[in-house]
Amino acid sequence: MEEPTLRIRELQKDRVDFVMSGVDLAFANSLRRVIMADVATVAIDMVEIEVNTTVLVDEFLSHRLGMIPLTSTNCEEGMRYKRDCPCLGFCRYCAIVYEIDVRCTEGEMNVTSEHLTMIPPDQWDHDEEASAAEDILAKRGKNFGVPAGPATDPDPQRKPISLVRLRKGQALKARCIARKGIAKEHAKWSPCSAVGFEYDPHNKLRHTSYWFETDEKAEWPLSKNAIEEAPPGDVFDFTAVPEQFYFDVETTGSLNPQEVCMRVRLPVPACAWKLTMQCRVWQSCKISLLR
Amino acid sequence: MEAFRKEREEREADRAAWEALGLESSKWSGKNLSDPIKAVEDKWLLLPAFLKVKGLVKQHVDSFNYFVDVDLQQILKANNMVSSDVDPRFYIKYTHISVGPPERADPDQGESPERFSVTPHECRLRDTTYSGRIVVNVEYIRGTKKIIRRGIEIGRLPIMLRSNKCVLTGKSEAELARMQECPLDPGGYFVVKGTEKVILVQEQLSKNRIIVETDPSKGVVMASVTSSTHERKSKTYVLTKKGKIYLKHNSVSEDVPICIVLKALGVQSDKEILQLVCGHNEDYREAFAANLEDAARLGVFTQRQALEYMGARVKVNRPRPFGAPGGGMQGPRRPAWEEAMEALATIVLAHVEMEGMDFRPKAVYVAVMVRRVLMAMKDEKLVDDRDYVGNKRLELAGQLLALLFEDLFKKFNQDLKMNIDKVLKKPARTEEYDVLKALTFHAQSEGITQGFVRAISTGNWSLKRFKMDRAGVTHVLSRLSFISALGMMTRITSQFEKTRKVSGPRALQPSQWGMLCPSDTPEGEACGLVKNLALMTHITTDVEEEPIVRVAFMLGVEDINLATGPEIHHPDTFMVNVNGSIVGLTRQPGRFVSSFRKLRRAGRISEFVSVYINHHHKTVHIAADGGRICRPMIIVEKGLPRVTEEHIKLLKRGSVTFDDFLRKGLVEYLDVNEENDSYIALYEREIVPATTHLEIEPFTILGAVAGLIPYPHHNQSPRNTYQCAMGKQAIGAIGYNQFRRIDTLLYVLVYPQQPMVKTRTIELINYDKLPAGQNATVAVMSYSGYDIEDASMINRASLDRGYGRCQVFRKNVTLIRKYPNGTFDRLADAPIDEETGKPPDKYGALQADGIAGVGEQLRPGDVYINKQSPANANDNSFNANILDSSNASIVQYKNTPMTYKSPVGGIVDKVMLTETENDQTLVKVLIRQTRRPELGDKFSSRHGQKGVCGLIINEEDMPFNDQGIKPDVIFNPHGMPSRMTVGKMIELLAGKAGVLKGKLQYGTAFGGSKVEDMSQILIENGFNYAGKDYLTSGLTGEPMEAYVYFGPIYYQKLKHMVMDKMHARARGPRAVLTRQPTEGRSRDGGLRLGEMERDCLIGYGATQLLLERLMISSDAFEINACQECGLLGYNGWCPLCKSSKRVAKLTIPYAAKLLFQELMAMNVVPRLILDDA
Ligand SMILES: [Zn+2]
Repeated sequence: MEEPTLRIRELQKDRVDFVMSGVDLAFANSLRRVIMADVATVAIDMVEIEVNTTVLVDEFLSHRLGMIPLTSTNCEEGMRYKRDCPCLGFCRYCAIVYEIDVRCTEGEMNVTSEHLTMIPPDQWDHDEEASAAEDILAKRGKNFGVPAGPATDPDPQRKPISLVRLRKGQALKARCIARKGIAKEHAKWSPCSAVGFEYDPHNKLRHTSYWFETDEKAEWPLSKNAIEEAPPGDVFDFTAVPEQFYFDVETTGSLNPQEVCMRVRLPVPACAWKLTMQCRVWQSCKISLLR
Repeated sequence: MEAFRKEREEREADRAAWEALGLESSKWSGKNLSDPIKAVEDKWLLLPAFLKVKGLVKQHVDSFNYFVDVDLQQILKANNMVSSDVDPRFYIKYTHISVGPPERADPDQGESPERFSVTPHECRLRDTTYSGRIVVNVEYIRGTKKIIRRGIEIGRLPIMLRSNKCVLTGKSEAELARMQECPLDPGGYFVVKGTEKVILVQEQLSKNRIIVETDPSKGVVMASVTSSTHERKSKTYVLTKKGKIYLKHNSVSEDVPICIVLKALGVQSDKEILQLVCGHNEDYREAFAANLEDAARLGVFTQRQALEYMGARVKVNRPRPFGAPGGGMQGPRRPAWEEAMEALATIVLAHVEMEGMDFRPKAVYVAVMVRRVLMAMKDEKLVDDRDYVGNKRLELAGQLLALLFEDLFKKFNQDLKMNIDKVLKKPARTEEYDVLKALTFHAQSEGITQGFVRAISTGNWSLKRFKMDRAGVTHVLSRLSFISALGMMTRITSQFEKTRKVSGPRALQPSQWGMLCPSDTPEGEACGLVKNLALMTHITTDVEEEPIVRVAFMLGVEDINLATGPEIHHPDTFMVNVNGSIVGLTRQPGRFVSSFRKLRRAGRISEFVSVYINHHHKTVHIAADGGRICRPMIIVEKGLPRVTEEHIKLLKRGSVTFDDFLRKGLVEYLDVNEENDSYIALYEREIVPATTHLEIEPFTILGAVAGLIPYPHHNQSPRNTYQCAMGKQAIGAIGYNQFRRIDTLLYVLVYPQQPMVKTRTIELINYDKLPAGQNATVAVMSYSGYDIEDASMINRASLDRGYGRCQVFRKNVTLIRKYPNGTFDRLADAPIDEETGKPPDKYGALQADGIAGVGEQLRPGDVYINKQSPANANDNSFNANILDSSNASIVQYKNTPMTYKSPVGGIVDKVMLTETENDQTLVKVLIRQTRRPELGDKFSSRHGQKGVCGLIINEEDMPFNDQGIKPDVIFNPHGMPSRMTVGKMIELLAGKAGVLKGKLQYGTAFGGSKVEDMSQILIENGFNYAGKDYLTSGLTGEPMEAYVYFGPIYYQKLKHMVMDKMHARARGPRAVLTRQPTEGRSRDGGLRLGEMERDCLIGYGATQLLLERLMISSDAFEINACQECGLLGYNGWCPLCKSSKRVAKLTIPYAAKLLFQELMAMNVVPRLILDDA
């Protein structure tokens, strides 16, 4: 098998479309599964409600708060899991604290993720145990912990995430504590919303048998990946194995797409692959696309 | 200003266009008959227009309005005098009655006019009754003067929501919101003592109509009629017995030969009898002749003789004071002929009206009944069908309340009269007697108010007058989901007993078409007996009869009383009936009926009066009575529907309403009988020259609940029926005021969605605004093996993101009572634990007032109302010391707290403190749980396909398509072939197309988005046209060998959740009497090893297991038995033998020991014969 290579076909702020080759099917699928379930991000995990006179009940709001994607660049190194942190409650290395304090005084208003304000650790009314590891904090990316939205995206069309609508006189005040986690535990920690995955668009390997009434070709439109491969010849090659894998990863905004794919922690042979990928692929791709 | 004028001008132009329209369309437009008739597009828009004026629960509201506005006056008129037996000059007369707006029974302090005003929601919350005052005007004698008084309250009437008297009627959405009321709530129910009660529609056989039936096994033909008047109800039969005809009635002790009856009714000569019954028909004459001989043999020739004969057999029920046999002092038995006369005049066929003592109408009526029997004897097809919907009448809230009110009012007047007599009897009175005091005193005793409240809240309608004793008339309005509430309002229950094993009343009747929903009926014992109204129906209320009779005479009907037998039975004459009573004869029934209909279409007669010809009986029936189901239809004239495109255009613009269509004679209401006399086309293309009507829309054959099903016409019929039952259990939104309500149990979905595939019905009943379900992406495939028996797999990430998440609210109520002895309950602080100096944990949620704070979390066992009751609350001796606040401490209190019982934690959602009408403090605490679907929770699609969650699967393990779309639910394909729910497959296809196009699709019955169009959309978006997708396994990354049917289906979460059901126990409580484990989850009961399980163990021979299950683990008990006498002893001593010599110890079930003792109590000696094994 040839050397693992990866070719990026399209890269947007929340989406990457790439073709991977030189790996076997099991590896490619593992990558897909890991992207979906094992990449660490930050999400609100605990909500302490002080005032809630909105129409939504506490659990309902907490659930909505938890679903907000928070910018988690380099979360893998920039933050500790609660279970790995020696602190008792929470500390600057394992938690981010937010406050939401809105009161509608006139007409109606929308409470959005914009109203979530991060409280710097030195303003916490909370005694931290000294377990200094300043270097961890330094590893965090830009805007770490900021809700994905207008604050992290220059796009003027970008809207913040809606939480609840208030009427005059209603108020919401709560303290939210965000933690590091993975999507295996709860989908709110998932960095991506959908991962497209395909190989062998012409079904040359005959891994599936299409259902059709009269004409298979007419009834099953080819996917866009079909142009990447030559149409099948007349002879069925029963020794062939899958070679090219087409990925299409769409993120929620907590991580940028390249990080989602890069942060994958795979067993030993994969580490080698990871390094290769980092050097060769990601850095060679046009950084202008990322901005 | 300019805009306003323009709008007005436009409206006037529309009006003018509307006026001009009808004239054109009635003309023959010169087209050939074979030309296809262009379908009037969007004629279904008449349906929303209909629902706007009539609404789904309009029948309830109309009937209540009729009761309050019309019936109440009539009842008063019939019972308006109360006189005295003592003073003949005295009387009190009611002159007017009316019902006021709903008022609070315990008004606020002060003078504000608002202090009486009440909203239904206040009544729901405060457990009071939403009722208005019934006030009368009276006229009575005081001394010698006539006094007139107005506005005297005699009681309170519960007010139906959204009726004329209700405060909600005609209010805007904003105003309703201010009253905490949901604008989509249909109304039509009552709020009695805080609970919402519906008086269900009751189905009955129609009154005052002749029904002919045969019993082929006995060869009996029977014509029966139930006469119902305001005074009495009775049933009269004309039946055959050994080929001869008799009259049977409850008040006559034996069956009377029919000729004697006719002679008693004044038809003396045999010839006249023969002519009146048979006319000139030889067949009938022959069959009837034997009856004439009968009378002659019995020596009955004259009317006098006939009356004597009957009089001897009449049961006299007149109350005779000090009734000695044969009459007391005052009531000597009248001559027999007089008794007979009386009975014939008032009891037999009571509904046939007579003038004075002229029996002619009754004679004709009896003759007609006899003729119907003769007809059925000759041709057995000429019998009536009891199950035919046209022979049924529906009794609604208004009629039932009218019966109740008349009863209560009579009772009220009786009591009043007794009171008056008692006072007037006293010889010397110091002042003139003023009856007003007695009247108000009686009103205060609340006989009428309580009568209504009791009847509606228990559902027991017992009226002695009509021997009516019905239970279960009212039901608590089910608020499980919006649909369940709505479904309840359209429900019809039958009076037939449920145990009878006849299929007739349960079967689907062809005449139910368009009137009653063919799908919506429960399974099991009430199947087919409980029905639901179809979407576009109306139930009539009574229309005055007299003007109709006058119209009939004006249209050339000849008075029946002037006709002779041969005239009546002439082959060309048709008998004209109004509400079942014979009015006259006509020779031109066709012309009569069509002119009658013309008058009705012109609005000269109420649109709900029906007229039709029965050619078999040669009769014309005009029906103006209440309780007939009818529905509107487009009139077709000369092969053209009267409603044209232009009409619909104006309707769309909102310039005209449904009533305009009625008034203009474009549509009309047909009841079942008239429907059967019409030629109705389902679609325009089916119109032929003889067509008289056109259906407005075929899907209105279904009811509101069946209307939710997409593509129901593709499903196997029982599936639609199952869905009708299941749609009512779906969790969703209940009303816009759902979070303001405090219901015993309330289920609410966190993120309800309107279905991707809607139906017109869904939009009409606002299910899209108050939905109960979510659009799940479904993959129809097998996965994991945990999906057998209809279990489905659910995506864990979907659950994380809120799929199927619901809230459960439970109400907890307590009264803070004041006791008659002056003590009262109190709310207390949390006690302080002496060791820690803090309140114990279980009081953690309490606030300073002794009630848990809103938002506090409760764990099992936590106290949320820390109530304390006085120890001597039931001691009724009044203790003045207690009242003195300085002595309050002498009262001993015991703790009677309310503790949270559920095994899972909850959160205090609402706390309400209020006062009931009798001044007790009421505390309601609403406790909420938020639940995420778990293994075993029940889900269902809209096609009667229920299933439980069998496994929750991680997202990455889910199969996905090339775009990375994963299913929310995986549905096992084995659920499809045997159920044949093709509608579900089309729903998926339409839903998928809708998602791709960004548009909602329609699955309306007999229409909806076409499969072909849906496939086209799929192809345009790069999908397979059949809805099948190429999926990749999430586990291996390899494609699935097979294609997978993949797309959105609307899924409902049903109220059955494992959390409320799961139960197991190792050790636990036992019943006191038998010492066996208790039964049921609520008592932490044991799991029963029943007979069948026992049989298995016996069959297998597992004796020790049997012993362990049935005795050791249940109610083992050690007894001392005497081997000498075989009876039970104690402590090794036999009290009978007075010895301890042969007493043995053995273990038996306690239940067996109990049995022995019970037998001994019955003087049966059970002796134990012991043997060493
Ligand atoms: Zn920490």
